[in-house]
Formats: sequence, C-alpha cells, structure tokens
Amino acid sequence: MADPPVVRTRGLTKRYRGTDALVGLDLEVAAGEVVGYLGPNGAGKTTTIRLLLGLIRPTSGTAEVFGLDSLRDAVAVHRRLAYVSGEQSLWPNLTGAEALHLLGQVQGTVDAGYRDQLVGRFDLDPSKKVRAYSKGNRQKVGLIAALASRPDLLVLDEPTAGLDPLMAHEFRRCVGEARTRGQTVFLSSHVLSEVEALCDRVAVLREGRLIEMGTLADMRHLSAVTVEVTFESDAPDLSAVDGVLSASSHGHHASLQVRGPMEPLLRVLAAAGVRQLRSREPSLEELFLTLYGDGDGATGDG
Amino acid sequence: MPPVTAELATVPVAHPGAAPAGRSPTTVVLRRTARRTVRSGALWGYVFGAVVVSSAWSYSSIYKTPAERAALAAAFGSNRTTIALFGPAPHLETVAGFTVLKTFLTLTVIGAVWGLLTATRLLRGEEQDGRWELLLAGATTRGRAAAQALGGLLAGIAVLWAVTALLLVVAGRSSRVDIGPGAALFFALALVAGALMFTAVGALTSQLAATRRQAAGYAGAFLGVSYALRLVADSGTGLHWLVWCTPLGWIEGLHPLTSARWLPLVPVGAFTVVVGVVTVRLAASRDIGSSTIPDRDRAAPRLRLLSGQLGLTVRLVRPTLVAWALALAATGLIFGLVAEGAGATLSGSSVHDVFARLGASGGGASAYLGITFLLVAVLLAFVAAAQVTAARSEELDGRLDPLLTRPVARTRWLAGRLGVAVLALTAGATVAGLATLAGAVAGGAHVDGGAVVGAGLNTLAPSVCVLGLGVLAYGIAPRSASLAVYAVVAWSVLVDVIGGIGALDHWVADTSVFHQMAAAPSAPPHWPAIGWMVALGVLSAVAGCAAFARRDVQGA
Repeated sequence: MADPPVVRTRGLTKRYRGTDALVGLDLEVAAGEVVGYLGPNGAGKTTTIRLLLGLIRPTSGTAEVFGLDSLRDAVAVHRRLAYVSGEQSLWPNLTGAEALHLLGQVQGTVDAGYRDQLVGRFDLDPSKKVRAYSKGNRQKVGLIAALASRPDLLVLDEPTAGLDPLMAHEFRRCVGEARTRGQTVFLSSHVLSEVEALCDRVAVLREGRLIEMGTLADMRHLSAVTVEVTFESDAPDLSAVDGVLSASSHGHHASLQVRGPMEPLLRVLAAAGVRQLRSREPSLEELFLTLYGDGDGATGDG
Repeated sequence: MPPVTAELATVPVAHPGAAPAGRSPTTVVLRRTARRTVRSGALWGYVFGAVVVSSAWSYSSIYKTPAERAALAAAFGSNRTTIALFGPAPHLETVAGFTVLKTFLTLTVIGAVWGLLTATRLLRGEEQDGRWELLLAGATTRGRAAAQALGGLLAGIAVLWAVTALLLVVAGRSSRVDIGPGAALFFALALVAGALMFTAVGALTSQLAATRRQAAGYAGAFLGVSYALRLVADSGTGLHWLVWCTPLGWIEGLHPLTSARWLPLVPVGAFTVVVGVVTVRLAASRDIGSSTIPDRDRAAPRLRLLSGQLGLTVRLVRPTLVAWALALAATGLIFGLVAEGAGATLSGSSVHDVFARLGASGGGASAYLGITFLLVAVLLAFVAAAQVTAARSEELDGRLDPLLTRPVARTRWLAGRLGVAVLALTAGATVAGLATLAGAVAGGAHVDGGAVVGAGLNTLAPSVCVLGLGVLAYGIAPRSASLAVYAVVAWSVLVDVIGGIGALDHWVADTSVFHQMAAAPSAPPHWPAIGWMVALGVLSAVAGCAAFARRDVQGA
C-alpha cells in the first residue's frame, strides 16, 4: 500500500457558537507537494490549520496528518512537522538565541548548522530580547526555528506577515530549498505573488467552504482574460458586448475581463479607433477576484 | 477563531468619525483606564471596609472589659517593636485606637501596592503589549494620553475611597464600632492616601522603565524604602524627624480616628501633583515604546534551564515565586518578632473564647501564631491562584502555541506547571515557618520549634486545594478560570473572618478552605481535613488536566 497522504481531511467542520468557521472540508496533500491555501480574512484558513495541528477539536469530520489523527496522536504528528503562525508569540524576557535554543530542544531535532546559516540569511540579531523585537523579527525567529528542524511537513500560516520584501524573498528561497529536499509545504497566504511563485496546487477557501482546488493552470481556464485598451478618444461603453464580464473605463483607457470567444469584442474594437491593445493572463489576484466576485466583506480573522 | 481581542475591537481608534455617537474619541484613554480601575477600586474598597469593620467588631468582642483593654494598651501602646512595624499605637483602650493599629498601616501598604500595580499595568503594561500605540494613533498626543490615563486612575481611587467610606459610615453607626460619619470619611481618606501617592509613583516609573515588571519593581523599591524610613523614624532612636521624609510617614501623621490632623494632607497632595506632572512631561517627551531609563534589551544567552518545556516553566515563574517567598519570609519574621508581646495580652476568658472559635487553644505566643499562620495560608492561596492565572495568560497570549505545536503533550505541560507550583508552595510554607521561628526566637518567645515549622507546612493544604480547583476551572472554563480561583480564595477569607467572630452557621463556615485548617502551632494539625483538602485538590487537578487535553486551545 502506498504511503497515506501527508494531510487528509474528511468532512472537517468547526462551529463556534453557531458560526460556521469551517464546513465539510475535504482536502488531500501528497508528500512533496507545496500547496497554497488562499482566502480572505475570516474564510477559515487559520481554523483549518489549528485543526490540523490538533489545537482545536473538530465539531465533526476528521483530520489526519501522516495518516495519524491530528488530535489523538498530536505528539507523534508534531515530531514530523513544524508550524509558523502569522502572529508569532514568544516569551518577552528570552533573547532570540534563547528562544531558538528552547524551540529546537522542544522540537527534538534541529540542524544547528542550517539554523545558524538561517540566522545570518534572515539578518536576525539573536542577542536581543524578544520584547525588543519588531513583529517581523519575532516572525523570523519562528521561521528559523521551523525551517531548522527540517520537518517532513511545514505548516505556514501567513508566514511573511511583517517581513520586509527582502526577507520575504529570502523566505521564498527557503521554501524552494525545502521543496527541493522533498519536504511538504502547506502555506496559507493572501500574498498572491508568494503563492504563485511557490505553490504546485492552490486551494481557495471562502466563508468556511473550499470553493476551488487545483493547479494554477487548472484554475486559469476558469477565469477571464484581461484586456486593456487605449482609444484615440474617450472609451466607449463595452460592458454589453458578448463575452465581456466586466468593464471599467477611465478617459481613453478601458480595462475588460473577457471570457470565451474574443470575436464579438474584436469586431466592436475594430471600428472604435484603438491606439493600443494589450491582453494578458490574469494574475492570481484577478483570478481571486473573479472567483469571489468583488467587494466581498471580510469579517474578523482566521 | 474566537475573538480574543473583543475589548480592543470596541475602542474607536483611528478616526474621530469612527467613534460611536455621543462618545468623544479624545477621551478614549480616560474612559478605558477609568473603566478598568473603577472595577478594581470598588472591589478593594469593599475589602478595606470589611477589614476595618471586622477588626473593630472583633476588638469589642475580644476585649470586653476596661481591664482587658488597659492590659492591651499597656502591652502594645509603648511596645517599640509594635510601633516600628505598625506605627504609633495611641488609645489602644478604645475601638478606634485598636482599629488604627491593626488596619491603618497594613491597608495603606496594601493600597500602595494596589496603586502601583494598577498604574504600571494600565500604563506600561498596555504600552508594552502594543495597545497604547493603537490608542495613540487616534486623536490624542502622548502627553494628553498620559494625563487622561492619570485621570482614569484617579477615578478608580475616588471609587476606592467612596466604597471604603460608605462601609465605614454605615458600620460606624453600630455601637460596637462607633465611628462618627466625619471621622469615617477622614479615615477612609487616610486609608486611600497610600493608594493615591503610589498610583502616581507607578505612573512615573511606567515612563522610566521599559517593561511592566521593571516599572512595578522600581515603584515597589520606592515603597520599600518609604516603609524602611518610617520604620527607622518610629523605632525610637532619635530619628523621628525622618517621618517627614517618607510618604508613609505623612500618612501616619494624619492620625485618623484618634487625633485627626489635616496638615500632612499638604505633602500628600503636593507629592501626588508633582509626580503626576512629571509623569505627563516625561510621557510627552519620549517615543512610544521607549523608556527614560535605557532598557537592557540585550543579554548573553542563559541556556541552562531551556532544554525543555519544564525548564522554561521554571525560568518563567521563578522571579515571581522568589518575590513571594521573600514576602512570606518577611511576614513570618515580623509576626514571629511580635509574637511574645502579642501573646502576653491574650489572657482573660473572653479572649480565649474568640481564639478558640478561630481554632487556637492554649495561650501566649503560640496562640497568637496560630492566628498569624492563617494569614500565611491566605498569602499562599493567593500564590496558588496567581499560578493558575499565569498558566492562563500563557495560553491567551499565544505563547502556548509554539510549545503545543511541537512534540509536547498538553497534559505534560500543565502537569509540569502544577508540579513547579506545588514545589514553590511547599518552599513558601517552609520559609514562612522557618522565618516565623527565627523571629519568635529573636523576639524572646518560648515556642516549640518543630511545632512552628510544622505550622508553616500546615498552611500548605488549603493552597494545594485552591490550586487544584483552579486547574479544574482552567480545564473546563478557561475564560472564567482566574475569576473562579480568586473567588474561591476571597470567599474562603470572608467566611473565615466572619465565622471567626461566631456569626456564621458552621455549614457555611466549613466551605472555607482556611476554616478547615487547624490553627497550628497552638493546635495540632487536623489530619482528616488536610487529607480531604489535598485529595480534593489532586482530584480536581487530574480532572482539570483531562479537560484541558480535550478542549480547544485558545491562541492569539
């Protein structure tokens, strides 16, 4: 029999006092995969992760990690994974070095050489006390501790929150290295470029429900193509044209989302005095908006 | 995730327009600070009033005849040790004089500690946790925010005074207490003067220090020096003028109830105003998150204890527990020192009656110590309760997540904390017993050494019981765990104090963990009660651990 998936949930549901934080989640992550977990605030990303970590109990359904029950076998599961929260809380009176030492000791396995290398790469000053660290620096401690334990599974909940772009780039390199080593990564994020750059597959969560799961290529065909047009004069109203999902214009410029055949649009444009025409594949951001519609309100966190 | 920052979310921060209608965003700091101080002020006002009233009541039931009262006055009125420790003791033949001796300085110090802890928590603590930053993003400046916070603290002190005064005025009408309304109002004022001045001191040290703990430490050190100066001034060594050099000396000079004087209110008021103004100035001139005294935010790594979660627990709770042990040692030493003098007044049948009701038998110093170890038991129970709260805040602040997402079983973590707490309580009880013995011997009391040390250990059972009940609450209802465990202690204290003067049915009195405890060393330890309390504590703790393993962890 083949190895069980690294992560498998069946009908995983969590309800808080009448609110559905997560409903009927079925999710599988295979060994060596890098999976992005996307959704607006309050969609249930953090709830999912806390269920996988056995920190909270499912209302119904099951969560298995490495084929083990995430709650009952939490200790065994945790020996093989490392988790970084987006709000890394540490003990204020410990220095960075002390916190890293402690977390390594508690984890049990730590690649000390890699850890010291990461301290340098992330430009962390470990002699400072945690209370003197910025949020970004606390985040670095969490990331270094997690990466240095070389776990089979990295569970990352918005890990780059608070990191500056240079460090976020370093983080991506580290995840790339982890992938090369065959480690599995479960990355919750709303930094889309991050997910786009790192992930093999993407799961999209909305209001506690999984609404999309697939490779980026799989998902692109669902979406519209973005067409940007600059006219010789003021842009005409193109929203009624066949295939145009949405159109916005500003002066001579119009931006359109188009799905299906382009022909009706091209026919209209041919007669409209186009100066410049650009079309491109949608970014994950736009994909996201198409999946969600626009102006969807976020309520609370996690 | 459950909303753990609900209170924050209700604070209108960024824009004036974001404030709820009818509430000015410019006073948000004032209202926020006031809301949190007023609650605590009311609670402590009630405690102050209850302590004073119960003390007055117990006097009139213990010392019934003029002869007994005269004996008391003769023994204590000019006893140098008593005066050095508790302040001058005039008119001990009256309820008023006795009440002042028994409650005035003690409550003043408690009020001062309350004030400095409240101020440092609401000023430096809030800033340290980053909430201050959020408030300052609103329509206010650093200086104004500090001034508002001071205003909020003042509101809490006003409530502390009002509740204390109300209880004193009402109870003062009883013939057994007999304090006139004017005297009651002034006594209440004198009782909160310490809270007032040391709230200001706490606010000032919150500007000086970078962490809440440091700020409280500086303010506490100032309180210690103030107390020591007053002690020297009152020790009859010709240095009585020193009494004008210490805030506690000014308060002592108010002489409430016995021969009230208004003049010392001038330095009390001036000190508070000056410290308040300096606080606002300092707050206005520094950056948020910074401190006037440079913070040591770098340190060489000390890795000895950090090889696992248990060592981490030891390192985290050690400073607090060492401080408690010192406090228990000081308490024991003081009571030991005065035991001989106090024991000598415990003669006459009515005194024996009351002490017998509190559980003490025999006479002299050991009967007196039988009562003082009750106080040690209460302090230990508070240590136990504080450990439950500390565990809870590890979870609530998200510091439990980095441990529990690693191979650390929840029950092992909680059991580790419990074990450390039990060891610390045992050490505290031992230290209290030994210090009391040392004090008693130094004070010339003839006591059985083994019995006194045993009496220290005898205080352990109630705190173990409280700890276990607290863990049960933590496992089942984490949100109300702190409230529940402190409620158990407060209820037990209240019942025991009231029960001690014979005013309660024994079924009610028996619900107090302290009432269950024998008044060692004057009575032998009551083993069945110890067994019951420890068993209840252990069973509760086991149930609490099991519940904790099954519930949701509430992280940041």
